[in-house]
Amino acid sequence: MRAIRAIAVNTFREALRDRILYLFLGFSIVLLASSKLFGILTVGEQTKIIMDMGLAGIQFFVMLIAVMMSVLLVSREVDSKTVYYILAKPVRRWQFLIGKYLGLLSIVLVNLVLMTAVLLLFVGLYGGGFEPRLLFATGFIGVEMAVLVAFAILFSVLTKPILGSVFTLAIFVVGHVSEDLWLLTRHLPGSVGKTLVSVLYYAIPNLERFNFKTEVVHQLPVPYVAVGWALLYGGVFTTMVLVLACWRFEGKDLQ
Amino acid sequence: MSETQLRIRNLTKTFHPGLFERAVEVLKGLDLDVIKGEIFGFLGPNGAGKTTTIKAVMGLVIPDAGEILIGGDPHDSPAAKRRVGFMAENPYLYNHLSGREYLRFSAELLAIERSEIGDRVAVVLGRVSMSGRADAKMRTYSKGMLQRIGLAQALLGEPELLILDEPMSGLDPIGRRDVRDIILDQKERGVTVFFSSHIIPDVETICDRVATVIDGSVRGVGAVRDLLAREVESYEVTFTGLDPQKVSIPVESAHMGSSAAWVRVPAGQRDALIRELTEAGARLVSLTPVRSTLEDLLLEQYEEGGVS
Repeated sequence: MRAIRAIAVNTFREALRDRILYLFLGFSIVLLASSKLFGILTVGEQTKIIMDMGLAGIQFFVMLIAVMMSVLLVSREVDSKTVYYILAKPVRRWQFLIGKYLGLLSIVLVNLVLMTAVLLLFVGLYGGGFEPRLLFATGFIGVEMAVLVAFAILFSVLTKPILGSVFTLAIFVVGHVSEDLWLLTRHLPGSVGKTLVSVLYYAIPNLERFNFKTEVVHQLPVPYVAVGWALLYGGVFTTMVLVLACWRFEGKDLQ
Repeated sequence: MSETQLRIRNLTKTFHPGLFERAVEVLKGLDLDVIKGEIFGFLGPNGAGKTTTIKAVMGLVIPDAGEILIGGDPHDSPAAKRRVGFMAENPYLYNHLSGREYLRFSAELLAIERSEIGDRVAVVLGRVSMSGRADAKMRTYSKGMLQRIGLAQALLGEPELLILDEPMSGLDPIGRRDVRDIILDQKERGVTVFFSSHIIPDVETICDRVATVIDGSVRGVGAVRDLLAREVESYEVTFTGLDPQKVSIPVESAHMGSSAAWVRVPAGQRDALIRELTEAGARLVSLTPVRSTLEDLLLEQYEEGGVS
């Protein structure tokens, strides 16, 4: 457990010193600029638009961090051979990967917390008061990122950094339209195409399950069952992907 | 009977670079025993399999077949890893950390008691003469300093076995001397040292035994003096008063300088040559036995064995 913690802390510090928090500043500027712009263009409903824009912005920026940092920081350990010194010590390969995962997830979550604080501040400043439901929506962005970082770890074990980033980004994009994939299977002629799309549907997480933005922005009720299922789904998917990554890393030659 | 610290049997490894590239058989049934307390040199040309062997011992590459035991335990077990300190060739360490921070991180991985970490780090920093620069970021370190920190992290767990891959590679003479001194100091403390190198004079100077590896298997193992004694085998003779071309016994090479003549003869011809020089009225200036070096031995084995 100590080794996992040490690796996670080191990863967190490495990401911090890579100035990853600049993205948080980027988010703040984008939110400030878009609030001003939409303040001019719209009448009323401005708070809802800030919440909508803010949540989408948070999701986009933390996704960028997850995709870029996860693949980069794991491959950097292998390419620069620093991993040799870790694995030469009494540390199991799976402990290394889990440590990296927790470190990367921490940096994503710290950014998420900071961005959420900025959004709450903006909503408050524009007359919306304190909106605790925003915490619920960003919390589920955090769950979504837990799944995405697990995929980034898997791809960093399987392939080169650039490809790994592309694949992780593809998971994010396809994961948000995966229900369309299911619909597609009904319209595809022939069993081969149907089977392929079905495999894709089950292999790629349905990230829309973690999307409660509309309910939060428009004050709609959120069914407890959907929340429970989303948490369970996120947990199971993350565990499965991490187990797969650890299994692949176990048999990998580090050259 | 001497106790084995590192035992390798029938180590085999083939790399498969890609779908359309040929598989490369790097290790072909390599056997090796390193005895407790000795300094063991692992010599071989580039591509012979030295680094792959070391990586297999450290669990960084997965062998196709074979057995590796460290102090009697399987090499990838936590018990075995606790016995080993390792430094890779050209250590690349974290740029964002200082030397001290990196060693503290290493101490956490080694599960050293938290209350002991500060003292233990200070001791190894002193041992590698890095106490003065320990708090500077490693991105500011020279190659020699990185090598020292690499050694420090290897020493941190007070290992029984120190495995070093090309520890003197790329260092200036002072850096090489310092690394050599650290290795000798470790031997005095009872640590077994196993290191690969292509800097042969260093190996000749400090190793108790060496193994030569060529084309994925060990070609010779033994004490440096024993390996070399078998291979000696000519004399260089300098004399005046006779043209070296007129020497009747077969010579390996000959040269007429401005003040003296020089010939090299096989060891068995030494007495015949001296007799001939005396009879011809020549004056012997010097007689130097030519001992083969490890480099000669390695080249000879390389040429004999070839590389498939």
